[in-house]
Amino acid sequence: MLTLKLAYRNIFRQKRRSLLTAISMSFGYMLFVITLSMVEGSWSNIVDIFTLDHTGHIQIHNGDYAKRPKIHKTIRDRSSVESILVDHSEVASWAPRVYSPALAYGTKKTTPAQIFGIEPKLEPTVTRILQKVSAGSFFSASPNSDGYFSAMVGAGLARTLNIVVGDEIVLIANGADGSIANDIFIITGIVGNVTSFDRKGIYLPLTVAQEFLSLGSDVHEYSILALDKHKNEALAVQLQAQIPSVKVSPWQEIQATFYKTMQADKDGNMFVVGLIVFIVFIGVLNTVLMSVLERTREFGVLKSIGSRPGDLVRLVFLETVMLAALSVFVGFLLILPLIYWFTDVGLTMGVAVEIGGVEFDTMKGELSAFVMLMPMAFILITAGLISIPPGLRAARIMPRVALGSH
Amino acid sequence: MVKIMRFFLIVVLILSHSASANAADADPRKIIDEMEQLYRGASSDIKMTMVVETPQYERKMQLTGQSLGKEYGFFRILSPRKDRGIATLKRDSEMWNYFPKINKVIKVPPSMMMGSWMGSDFTNDDLVKETQLIDSYEIVMVENDLEYLFTLTPTQQAVTVWGKIEYLVSKAPLLPLSQTFFDEDGEKIRVISFSEPKMFDGRMMPSVLEVRPINKDGYSTRIIYDDIIFDAQNITAQTFSMRNLKARF
Repeated sequence: MLTLKLAYRNIFRQKRRSLLTAISMSFGYMLFVITLSMVEGSWSNIVDIFTLDHTGHIQIHNGDYAKRPKIHKTIRDRSSVESILVDHSEVASWAPRVYSPALAYGTKKTTPAQIFGIEPKLEPTVTRILQKVSAGSFFSASPNSDGYFSAMVGAGLARTLNIVVGDEIVLIANGADGSIANDIFIITGIVGNVTSFDRKGIYLPLTVAQEFLSLGSDVHEYSILALDKHKNEALAVQLQAQIPSVKVSPWQEIQATFYKTMQADKDGNMFVVGLIVFIVFIGVLNTVLMSVLERTREFGVLKSIGSRPGDLVRLVFLETVMLAALSVFVGFLLILPLIYWFTDVGLTMGVAVEIGGVEFDTMKGELSAFVMLMPMAFILITAGLISIPPGLRAARIMPRVALGSH
Repeated sequence: MVKIMRFFLIVVLILSHSASANAADADPRKIIDEMEQLYRGASSDIKMTMVVETPQYERKMQLTGQSLGKEYGFFRILSPRKDRGIATLKRDSEMWNYFPKINKVIKVPPSMMMGSWMGSDFTNDDLVKETQLIDSYEIVMVENDLEYLFTLTPTQQAVTVWGKIEYLVSKAPLLPLSQTFFDEDGEKIRVISFSEPKMFDGRMMPSVLEVRPINKDGYSTRIIYDDIIFDAQNITAQTFSMRNLKARF
């Protein structure tokens, strides 16, 4: 307790020096928080873009369909999967899908295409497909007056085949029963733009695609949004335990390459910020060392009246950590409104960036316990570590020598 | 496509077989040549059922087929309803598929020739390739009391994917029993077996033909002949026209 009191008093003995040290630690903390918030924020933005573009937070497949898609690797027992998805409190929304490669015929040209069979009511609850319809309108599962069903095509496909809303498109694909699926569809909408992942895609209503591909009521995939996107991996584990007959994968597994790239980038950024903060702390080390050397006589007195070496180490440690805590606290108060604004409003960029047909014109940060507290812990621990060499130095002071010095 | 090829092959085999019933002397080249010669110029009108089995599904189709010589062939699916009217036309070495739902004739490109015909174990190529066994293969014959075994190895000039074909024929009645196809490394690829001989239009011939790929477990295609009329008067070159391919029926 005495040590604590001493440490507290010592901080305010050299007010100017303490203030300068505190400022540098404060700035170190704020720099760390801003960088972390930006890195986390922009990555989480990118993750949102593609999870909400198509992937979802969690996907369910039959076996290794995600890695080796085959038309017959379907989920047959849909009701047991869906009843669990409906009941689970952490599942925000879900949508079934079927896929198949196909050959698409316009009036003159032919091109390979990818069929996406989506449920017209459920799919918009999982993805931003409604916002991606760039011409025409979102389809329904019912046929038009001539008995033709609707399709929406990717912008790249529409351009290649030179077709517009209202035109016919002919599709040929391999049915699940070995038959050759062939039919005519009417284009009701164009989806995305030529850079979208589905630029070569053809969206069909789920039931229409199942009929076309002779799949019965089977589906290839469920895409799921979690209520809390940060807990999607834990949710995937839970769902997997509840439905052992299928494979439940978080997006981190589905988009493994992307996930690894993201982790590497985050680690790299963390290293750079860590390095900068470390350099800040070399300055702090210098200050602490200075203050110890300056007080050689004082420490000599303390020792001669009975302080043990450990007490001195503790004293210097407490001084430094208390100062650091104070700086971080002030830094926290200063940076919190900024990060809050950054997360809520964001920086508006001059030019909108378009990713997958969805436009983004603001750069946003992230406000989370991780962003605010991780740098705090880093600063406090580094401050503690840095106080040890000066502390040891103080502990080694011989009273006789110290009292003789000036 | 493959199926069509197979059909042709089968038709050829059946015709050649039934025609050579009294040609059972020991000259293998003569037997096979006679089979081919007999087939040539003959026409047939066939009703058949094709059953495709895979580990994932079983599919049953009813088809009609017409052939004229070895150059022309025409097949049309009658059932299931979803596929009704899909037709395949073969003229010499070219093939076209017609899909009535989309009213499109699609030529089978050379790159698709080894692809499956209508999801069966027949390739398109099986339907198109002329069975020039005598011109393209060296023939070695072994016989016992009951069977002939012809071993056919392609000549230098032959254009074929097979390294060897073993052709087993029973002596009495003179009917094909099986054909075993080997690749160039001598690996067994598939077996076609002939069974359940029946009388069709006055000729005895196997009514069931089964293709079984060796390296694909659980896959097989069976063709069951329901009815065959030989030398039908209504089959002319006109039958094998684009116009007929796209005709309503």
